[in-house]
Amino acid sequence: MIIENFPNQFSQIGQVLIYILAGLSGLIGLSGIVNIVGRRPFLPQPSRILFVLVNLLFLTGFGLICWLHWHIYQDLPLQLPAKLVPWLNQQLAAMNSQATYAFSLYDPAHPPRYVIPLWIENEKYYFWFMAYSLMSYLAWRWTDNHRLRGTLQLFLAIQVSILITVANPFAHPLTKFFTEITPWFKAQSNPMVQLGMFMKLYPRMVFYYNAIYMWMHPPMLFISYACITITFITSFFMLIKRELAIEVLGYDFAKFGYFMLTFGMLLGYPWALEAWGPNWWWDPKICSSIMMWAIYSTYLHTRLYANKKGMWYFTSLLGVLCFLAMIFTFITSFYFPGAHSFVYEQVMPPLPYKVFGYGIV
Amino acid sequence: MLKRKSYDYYLILATAIVLAVISAICVYGMFYFKFAELQHMPATAKALYMSRMNQAISPFIIALIMLLGICVPKRLLPVKWLNRFTLGLLTVVGVIAVLGGVVIALKVNLMITLVLQFIVLGLALAGNEQLHFEKKGYWTRVGSSCMHLGLILFILDLFFYRYHILHLVLFWVTTVSCVVGMLACFYSAAIVRLVGKLVTPHKGV
Repeated sequence: MIIENFPNQFSQIGQVLIYILAGLSGLIGLSGIVNIVGRRPFLPQPSRILFVLVNLLFLTGFGLICWLHWHIYQDLPLQLPAKLVPWLNQQLAAMNSQATYAFSLYDPAHPPRYVIPLWIENEKYYFWFMAYSLMSYLAWRWTDNHRLRGTLQLFLAIQVSILITVANPFAHPLTKFFTEITPWFKAQSNPMVQLGMFMKLYPRMVFYYNAIYMWMHPPMLFISYACITITFITSFFMLIKRELAIEVLGYDFAKFGYFMLTFGMLLGYPWALEAWGPNWWWDPKICSSIMMWAIYSTYLHTRLYANKKGMWYFTSLLGVLCFLAMIFTFITSFYFPGAHSFVYEQVMPPLPYKVFGYGIV
Repeated sequence: MLKRKSYDYYLILATAIVLAVISAICVYGMFYFKFAELQHMPATAKALYMSRMNQAISPFIIALIMLLGICVPKRLLPVKWLNRFTLGLLTVVGVIAVLGGVVIALKVNLMITLVLQFIVLGLALAGNEQLHFEKKGYWTRVGSSCMHLGLILFILDLFFYRYHILHLVLFWVTTVSCVVGMLACFYSAAIVRLVGKLVTPHKGV
């Protein structure tokens, strides 16, 4: 069956890839530890080659994820028998007449297809850590402080170990997505059952999986998380000893991270209006994100006064605090219920607003 | 009378304190949401929670908006006038709040801030050197002005929440202003290099 074939291939190739990644990252981590504790740089050239290889592997894995998503788009359309189409379109038209955000009517020549972003479920961790890997390599090249280089390497190794142990995107690819759609492709006998399933899958496809904001909002935040991690490392170094080159390096990543965070959060706003209407304020994740943004803004503002006595120390503390706020924000999704929660999927009805329009729900 | 440096310092301190209090209220809201199990409650309970949290946070949001109103003119005015302006603004907003309500007073405050920020942006674009910025550089100043204009617009836009199309149009103006501002402010050196290359292409090559 096609729904099982290509995910299996994806999984087999991906598993090999991620274990090679684990091996190389282990070596990078070891070299990182030796560099942190040592007085002199330890094997800088081999470490650089390892770093390049890890990045190449990350990119190859990302290519594999693209391949999986391409297959989903190509091979898994939500196709309905022609006899159901007029009735379905009547229903959709009736729903659209009351809604602010309308559904496209079903076109038998072009059945709806999943255009799934490359950062859902465990793939988001992959993307986040890949972004860190690429950016930390740049940071590695821009600094000649071997201890800073070692710390960047150690953080990479830690992230890859997290990826393998708890968030491997290749072990069970897109579990939730395939659980959702498997009944559709396995049992298509009764037309009414099929219609019922379609009405469950279609809104989620249109307003979640295929949402244009889903392509922009999460990746920008993950890139900013990667930048915040690098700023955290440099800020930590600044707390121990003030070194202008390290401070400037951290600030460069902080600026880029702040740009991505602010832009990404802004792009989440119209999406939230579209998906949840007015009932998403005071969602725990949004509270913590605003808090993180406030700390980040304070960091950048105090950085303006970094040449004043003691201010660089305070700025560095804020850089560390930003990272802690980021971790807190991320953990929020697991611990607190809400619209962004990974634990309580049904806390807020995912898509009522666009179906029923403003002011009704 | 406050001096410029202590003026800046107290403004930053006050903003940081207000932001810290807002953060603390947010954290309280998160834990309350979880332990009261609001996700399992009827929609009315959720609406009540939101209304209570709005009430708790509104004084600090008002304080933040007032601080924004005081922050913007510091780019334009000398310290002597800055103190007078602050007193004047607080008086005007206070009187309007008493006579017409807090919401109208905040809108007036934001409108004044918006006009002033437009003036700051105009002067920054014109390359005026008299503006009081912590950093020098044409693009840094233009970028910073754009970014702060976006922030003011964003807050003002929240008052137009019920006017769906206007709200979204203003939101996108806000976003463009913030993004352009951040790019110009953070990457001013790269922009200077780029503009230099465009103005004098292939010179000496």
